Amino acid sequence: MNNESAPGIPSATALPRYQPETGGLAVAVRGLWKKFGDKEAVAGIDLEIAAGSLAGLVGPNGAGKTTSLSMMTGLLRPDGGQVLVNGLDVWADPPAAKAIMGVVPAEVRLFERLSGEELLEYSGRLRGLLAAEARSRAAQLLDVLDLTEDANRLVADYSTGMRKKAALGCALIHNPSMLFLDEPLEGVDPVSADVIRRLLTRFVASGSTVLFSSHVMELVEQVCDHVSIIDKGKIVVSGTTDQVRGGKTLQRAFIDLVGPRAHDEEVLSWLGSSSS
Amino acid sequence: MARLLVQLKLRLLLNALHSSRAAKVSFIISTIFAVLLAVGTFLALASYRGKSTSVDLTAVVFTVFAFGWLIAPIMVFGVDSTLDPSTLALYPFRTRELITGLLAASATGAWPLANVIGLLGVTVGLASGALGLIVAVIAVGLQVLFCIALSRFVTTSLASLLRSRRGRDLAAFMIIPLVALYEFFTQVVPRAAAEGKITAASFTGFGSWMRWLPPGLAAHAIQDASDGRPGLAFARLGALAAVIVVFGWLWVRALSRALVTTDTTTQAARVRGAKLPLAGLGLRGTVAARFWLYQRRDPTSLVYWALIAVITAAVSASSLLGHNRHPAVILASAVFGAAFVGIFHANSAGLTGPPFFLEATALSRSRDLRAYFSGQNLALCVIGAPLVVAVCFGLAAAAGRPGFGIEAGPIVLAGLGAALGLSNLFSAVLPYPMAKRAGTPMLVAAQGYGAYRIGSVLGTLAGTAVAATPVIIGVVQTATDSDTIRIGVMWPCAAAYGFALALAGVRLAAAAAASKMPELCQVAVRSAMT
Repeated sequence: MNNESAPGIPSATALPRYQPETGGLAVAVRGLWKKFGDKEAVAGIDLEIAAGSLAGLVGPNGAGKTTSLSMMTGLLRPDGGQVLVNGLDVWADPPAAKAIMGVVPAEVRLFERLSGEELLEYSGRLRGLLAAEARSRAAQLLDVLDLTEDANRLVADYSTGMRKKAALGCALIHNPSMLFLDEPLEGVDPVSADVIRRLLTRFVASGSTVLFSSHVMELVEQVCDHVSIIDKGKIVVSGTTDQVRGGKTLQRAFIDLVGPRAHDEEVLSWLGSSSS
Repeated sequence: MARLLVQLKLRLLLNALHSSRAAKVSFIISTIFAVLLAVGTFLALASYRGKSTSVDLTAVVFTVFAFGWLIAPIMVFGVDSTLDPSTLALYPFRTRELITGLLAASATGAWPLANVIGLLGVTVGLASGALGLIVAVIAVGLQVLFCIALSRFVTTSLASLLRSRRGRDLAAFMIIPLVALYEFFTQVVPRAAAEGKITAASFTGFGSWMRWLPPGLAAHAIQDASDGRPGLAFARLGALAAVIVVFGWLWVRALSRALVTTDTTTQAARVRGAKLPLAGLGLRGTVAARFWLYQRRDPTSLVYWALIAVITAAVSASSLLGHNRHPAVILASAVFGAAFVGIFHANSAGLTGPPFFLEATALSRSRDLRAYFSGQNLALCVIGAPLVVAVCFGLAAAAGRPGFGIEAGPIVLAGLGAALGLSNLFSAVLPYPMAKRAGTPMLVAAQGYGAYRIGSVLGTLAGTAVAATPVIIGVVQTATDSDTIRIGVMWPCAAAYGFALALAGVRLAAAAAASKMPELCQVAVRSAMT
């Protein structure tokens, strides 16, 4: 791929792929901590993700997944801790770290008044690609993401699945070595989900790294080789998918670790066709 | 069913008192305004007693109320959940009972009550005798019923459209005539009335055509009854009732259709020329291209430009309309017009909203941010400079002194540079999240950030005025010189001065923003989108 920069454009994508110096870690988080008022959203997490892995970060609602990912991607300033992405300190040199990562946030809000093609091209140009290269990559990504037919429709008119795919295109257009995705398949139809899943698998197979958060245990179990479970702002367990499962399904292991909700079925005695 | 929906409406209203402080304050302010409307309208209508034009004035007031009922629900659609039939579509209601319920829910609340109380001012101002009073009460009831039926028919017919992007765009555009009307009533009408150009007699002509409109029928029925023509009075009330029945029937039809019609948001339009223009011109050109497309496609941006034109004109309007014209006030228009280009575009992250994360993940270095701010300024200047200059020339022509247009031009150019530089600076140092509020489709400062907004507005306005002062002095000093000097020297000098000011603003803003991108990003993420 052509990573040459135009004059006046940040040459982020022209940077050579960073080769981790210590232990082949793509992400190394040490004591990451964030407090909102009295609430401790992230309580000093440590996390290590090996380069070339597809890692999942799972946890119940309000566990601190989005806050953690926002701090790892340089979008939310932490109260403490350190984040290294491919050896680059995200908070010591944000531009350098941002240049090698792609981000898809949970609530995908894109530039609604741009067409899909304009959006991807804009994203590529912001990342320092030449206009022709940005257009070419945008067209290829739209094709792979099955958005070519809707390329010149406004993003405002896209469905949730189309927005997620467009956001993924924006995150990939500069060929990052590290991809962060927050709930990438939330509200996405099975066909679009399959497209995204295949693209992520292909991306990782090329040696890049993906860290994504999700509620869908089956998906995480199916595609991830590394899983971390976060609850109440702390990493409860982290390791390979098999280690975390411990011979059970990931769903079961997750519920055992995080704790099930209180059973209150007995109060719903009227519910069901056999009742009046 | 009607009782259930009335209870729902009351519950929604009462919940406002138990929710956030912002909602509580908003509810209390809304109620105070409703009381003021009731009292003010009652007194205004009562004051028409004995005037020869009282029936025409009453008809005007009735028509204004009907117009308000037509516009307000379109503006607040999506906020009052009882207005959207789709929220009730899942329940097993028959159309007839749904109509009755929605009608009752519409008539519930402080504002409908304020309408009834206010309009009952006709019992003092227009009605006389027992029959007149009875007809007045009936006419007010029918008038409010007509307003509700009209409003419900329109909102139900537009329901699927108003849920769509195009509908929200339409609602945003309705701000423009409302602001223009506000400026007309605050700037033009008081002056015209003070000079005797608008008197009660000015409304006489309205009677000839307004008497046949539903609000006019109600007003004239009261007068007919008061003048001893009960037959004609009841015939008018009958005609009004027939109109209400027709709107009710149309409403039933629209509601039946709305409950089973697909959402128009699925019918998306395509854009021409999907390639990003100017993208070959580096990062500055790329950002300018994005802003340029948004100025064309985003209704909020178009509304801002229309408001800038209205404000620029309004600043001079009151001084240009009277006998003692002051064409020099056009120079003030030039300063205000330029300042408002900056005011409306300060707080870049908040205005961009959550999509700003895309820019925040790519731009962090001061150099990149300089390109970002200057690209934004480029797009705004290409539209703002000709727009404000053209309005100033228009004002000068209206004043009969076209030369003032030539004098206003340099002030616009210098002011615009200052305003854009200041808007960049405020975007970087005083960012705040934007929120959606009931009553307006435009974004406003989120709760608790009003002071930020006021600070950036006043700061940009004052800064622009101060920065433009040397050019104003220069313009005044060269007022008697030839056009060659004024155009050939003043315009380029002012443009260069404005450019330098904008450049200084860009550099300072970029340096400030580079160290606080995460904070800017959080402001953007917390902002709503239009």
